[in-house]
Amino acid sequence: MSPTVSPLPDPPLPDPITVEVIGAALSSIVEETGEALVRASYSTNIKERRDCSTALFDRTGRTLCQAEHIPVHLGSFLDFIPMLMAAHDAGGLRPGDVFIGNDAYRGGGTHLPDIVLAEPIFVDDTLIAWTVNLAHHADFVDRAHAHIYQEGLRIPPIRLYRGGELQKDVLDLILLNCQVPRERLSDLRAQMAANRVGVQRFQDLCARYGAATVLAASEALLDYAERKMRAGLAALPDGSWRFEDVFDNLDSDQPVPLAVTVTTSGEDIRLDFDAPPQVRSGINMTRTALLATVYYIVKSVVDPSVLPNAGLARPITVTAPEGSILNCSHPAAVNGRVQTCQRVADLILGALAQAAPHRVTACTNSTCTVAQFSGTRSSGPDAGSYWVYLETIGGGGGARPDADGLDGIHVHATNTSNLPIEALELEYPLILERYELVDGSGGTGRFRGGMGMRRVYRATGDCLVHVDVSRNLSRSWGLFGGGEGGHGAFSTSPGAEPFVQGAGRLRAGEWLEIVTPGGGGYGAPGDAAAEASR
Amino acid sequence: MMDGADRGENAAWRVGVDSGGTFTDLCMFDETSDRIMVWKVPSTPDDPSRGIAQGVAQGMCERAGPAAQPAAATTYLGHGTTVATNALITHRGARVGLLVTEGFRDLLEIGRQKRPDLYDLFADKPPILVPRELRFEVPERLLHTGQVLHPLDAEAVRRAARQMRAAGVEAVAICFLYAFVNPAHEQAARRIVEEEMPGAFICASHEIAPEFREFERLSTVVVNAYLGPIMHRYISRLTPRLRDLGLPVAPHLTQSNGGVVRFETAAQTPVRAVLSGPSTGVIAAQAIGTQAGLAHLITFDMGGTSSDVALLSGGAAALTNESTVHGYPIKAPMLDIHTVGAGGGSIARINSGGLLKVGPESAGADPGPVCYGLGATEPTVTDANIVLQVLNPTHLLDGRMEVRRDLAVAAIARMAGQLGMDTMDTAQGIISVVTANMAKAIRVISVQRGHDPRDYALMAFGGAGPLHAVRLAQELDIVTVVIPRNPGILCAMGLLLTDLRADFATTRLLPLEPGQTGAISDAMAQAEAGARSWFETEDIAPEARHATRRIDMRYEGQNYELSIPVPDGAIDAAMLDTLAAAFAAAHQRAYGFTAEQERIFCVTFRAGALGTVRKAALSERPEGGPSAASAVIGARQVWYPETRDFTETTLYARDRLAPGMRFDGPAIVEQMDTTTLVPPGTRARVDRMDNLILEIAP
Repeated sequence: MSPTVSPLPDPPLPDPITVEVIGAALSSIVEETGEALVRASYSTNIKERRDCSTALFDRTGRTLCQAEHIPVHLGSFLDFIPMLMAAHDAGGLRPGDVFIGNDAYRGGGTHLPDIVLAEPIFVDDTLIAWTVNLAHHADFVDRAHAHIYQEGLRIPPIRLYRGGELQKDVLDLILLNCQVPRERLSDLRAQMAANRVGVQRFQDLCARYGAATVLAASEALLDYAERKMRAGLAALPDGSWRFEDVFDNLDSDQPVPLAVTVTTSGEDIRLDFDAPPQVRSGINMTRTALLATVYYIVKSVVDPSVLPNAGLARPITVTAPEGSILNCSHPAAVNGRVQTCQRVADLILGALAQAAPHRVTACTNSTCTVAQFSGTRSSGPDAGSYWVYLETIGGGGGARPDADGLDGIHVHATNTSNLPIEALELEYPLILERYELVDGSGGTGRFRGGMGMRRVYRATGDCLVHVDVSRNLSRSWGLFGGGEGGHGAFSTSPGAEPFVQGAGRLRAGEWLEIVTPGGGGYGAPGDAAAEASR
Repeated sequence: MMDGADRGENAAWRVGVDSGGTFTDLCMFDETSDRIMVWKVPSTPDDPSRGIAQGVAQGMCERAGPAAQPAAATTYLGHGTTVATNALITHRGARVGLLVTEGFRDLLEIGRQKRPDLYDLFADKPPILVPRELRFEVPERLLHTGQVLHPLDAEAVRRAARQMRAAGVEAVAICFLYAFVNPAHEQAARRIVEEEMPGAFICASHEIAPEFREFERLSTVVVNAYLGPIMHRYISRLTPRLRDLGLPVAPHLTQSNGGVVRFETAAQTPVRAVLSGPSTGVIAAQAIGTQAGLAHLITFDMGGTSSDVALLSGGAAALTNESTVHGYPIKAPMLDIHTVGAGGGSIARINSGGLLKVGPESAGADPGPVCYGLGATEPTVTDANIVLQVLNPTHLLDGRMEVRRDLAVAAIARMAGQLGMDTMDTAQGIISVVTANMAKAIRVISVQRGHDPRDYALMAFGGAGPLHAVRLAQELDIVTVVIPRNPGILCAMGLLLTDLRADFATTRLLPLEPGQTGAISDAMAQAEAGARSWFETEDIAPEARHATRRIDMRYEGQNYELSIPVPDGAIDAAMLDTLAAAFAAAHQRAYGFTAEQERIFCVTFRAGALGTVRKAALSERPEGGPSAASAVIGARQVWYPETRDFTETTLYARDRLAPGMRFDGPAIVEQMDTTTLVPPGTRARVDRMDNLILEIAP
């Protein structure tokens, strides 16, 4: 499905210094577009929690640079441009076209709330790159997750703007399918503005160095990331290591067994996953979500300084059974895929711990605890309209070979801020009563695991709630004698209706307490030599 | 009283003292003769006040002569210090206790729950400034409206205070939810702590940062408490030393916002002094730029390990109200100064992927660059300049320091071999890479804030700024570069050019609508009342008082505001229209769109109070003829990327250049504290203030 675009002249071979200078400019551009997106946005999930990402892609959809935001968002980016190009005639692309999409099977997405906007960048009438951003729209709530049709509106890559002109009929269709259309409209506008910044800056860069040099340098940057990744992989011992864990979640009755075999050989690494067939719940992950997770954790262990572009993936081979939880096919539901991502990242850490014990941490809290509140406004000018509040709550980090695990942080595939209490209570009918680290929740050890968190909400009006926690049956493992982290859990006030599979209702005055898991410890506790070195 | 009495025919000295880690720079200005004198003394890090007092005493005697009785004739003393910054960097602050709303003891640790680095599994958060056992929860709770949900448990406050006292706590921070809306609980708790802990340094969040977002407010008040006793001790040592010298005036300290306040005021809010050092350089640049008729300036202060950059638009330095300083979020008015680890000592390395990287690691003073011959083998930016012969290839510091170009060449040749490049191209490459890093820093303060650097002149100072200024300007398409007369002591000079300044804020969420005119007016008045009472406290003469006001606004639903100036006059319906139009224009500029149908909200009302002081006048000299022949001191071969070869380059002595002189690149201008590169194609002239103005061919 390689697109047909007019050929560019053979680029000159830029020297390493020009490459470095252009690389710095590309990372400036994606950071700047990200900042524009956050500052102009409206929903708390983006403006305060920064649940969004920005990136630049070459004409064929290879990542040139991804801003340091949310690793799993790369999953949505990986296939977006290729699928777009497969569905649209490249010759018909015009400056000012803006494509929108979110679908996991036709739009390159990993779950439906992550809406991608992409705009082609032209220089002298030639398509040379894409600016792409993704925002997690806190919408499509109070849904079932037996299959993707229950999870929200599926959008393939289609034009939201055509040559700079808003396609109002497309927008109207999308907004009618959203529960908080006013926020969606405003956030989409912020995404548009961010892409405009990306187009402008990339064109400025090309005006300075010449498009051919910029593209040649981009190509060199991909090679550079590959070389750096290969150099790091070569430093790992050759061998094959297997690791297994279970994935307990509120959606399924039985913990799901997951396993990986990691094989390193020279400058290459191969990860073969085993997983049961996809299920009728939201924990399935698309192949792109799996790849994004693998790229994130392999880069983190092998060399965190490798540029986040498509070159780093070249030495990495990934397999997972088709139609399984880790590589699902249509019409599997995928809304909660981030939980699975987190467990996959820790699986890989477990395998690599056997190869490079000093480069890994013990198991993190292995989850991204999610609390989603929604309801309708009972008074004011917006009475009757929906409100949605999405929060993801960090937990313990895994203990390290030389230090305790970090307490109360977002791990692995996600990295979003909390919503300030003073913003939360202003916008939603909730009061936060407690927000703290959970004593004793970090696994014991020479170095202890990071602590999980407790967050207690009291409703001041009726609302629906959906909670996603994990490690409520299993625990995060320690390494080399380190203890296990504390469980994840949630509970409600006495008298509240019991929740089913994490979903329920709070009436005014009732509370919900969420506890996130702790991380595993590293090394046996009481190791005298190690204690002394602490 | 801020200005000394008129001293008639005697000299009247204004003194600036900039105390850094290595050197203390002093600058003295005689108001009666417009003479400016500068000198440097070594700092005394164990007790900086000692070095400062000695430096002031010695310098005054040497430069002004004992007969001049300079101490008694001092009308003003302004001081910039890195005491607060250093205590924060080295984590040697006070033992702090913290009182927070029940349920939120760990908020200080949790922060915004993001991890310190996205990919590095071993990155750590900055150390927590208050250990868990000294963080006390107090039953009390307000709603977002400021209404009391649970009253303050006074006994719990008292118990906590007694525990803190027993634990040897020196400073107490108090931060309750919504104290910026209703400070009653914080005020009551403060009174109790004062009773129980006499002599402790106490501060509450509503006093230090009365703004929305609890974690950032908490972090600010904790940093303030952490630095409070340190700053207090520092000032209480320095004050008597200066008094003993016979100084008849109250000394002033610079703040991160570029203003100065009295020592007593500074001791209460040390969190506002964390950028005290670099801010004075920006202020000096502002004064010099204004006089030179350059209202739009980007300042570029490059030293040995880092570069500070800032943007001045319309003659005023951009202020930011929140920044992360050494890992800690701080809500305080600060000049928007951005720092990048790029300096003359920055080390060049080829990384595992085969690309050339420069910095942030620095060679420091020992072993220093390879050319110092002290054993270093990794080339630095300075070595590249030595190899290119942009810097004097045999001696630095006016001939006082010998350098070894051969060692620098060998080091860069090794690197060139690895890259498969020519040695000279590699040396120039090191300059290009460090320039790209600095350009990135300037993009942060310009393009990311909606300003096009091409509309600005670049003012370069610090020891290495003038050396790299034109290359940096070329990278950003800037066509004018300004090198002030004394680039190496600009910070000390800035102390003589700065005004007294304080900023006041009131947070209140109000729609910008005619029905709210009264409430908006009241909120603005509240902030302005703070400014008025400050004028009284600082004893500023009525004619020296200048107030400014701004409102931070956003569309309903957004959470980041744009700060809009409020013109003079009553706040009425017409004013609201003016503000709405100004906001729309600012939003369009920042984000590229406006949302006409959305309501605009006022969030924070800000009043700036300025007490103008008599400043050192920058003297002007009449322009003479254009020939610079009398300033030529020689020539050397310098390598330029334009020709990829050595070119004979004229050398000029800065102290022989006079207003009106003109010359074209390639040229090098040498002076004791810096070297200026004028590459081929760049034209230079000296203006009436002895600034060197470089014009770059587009």
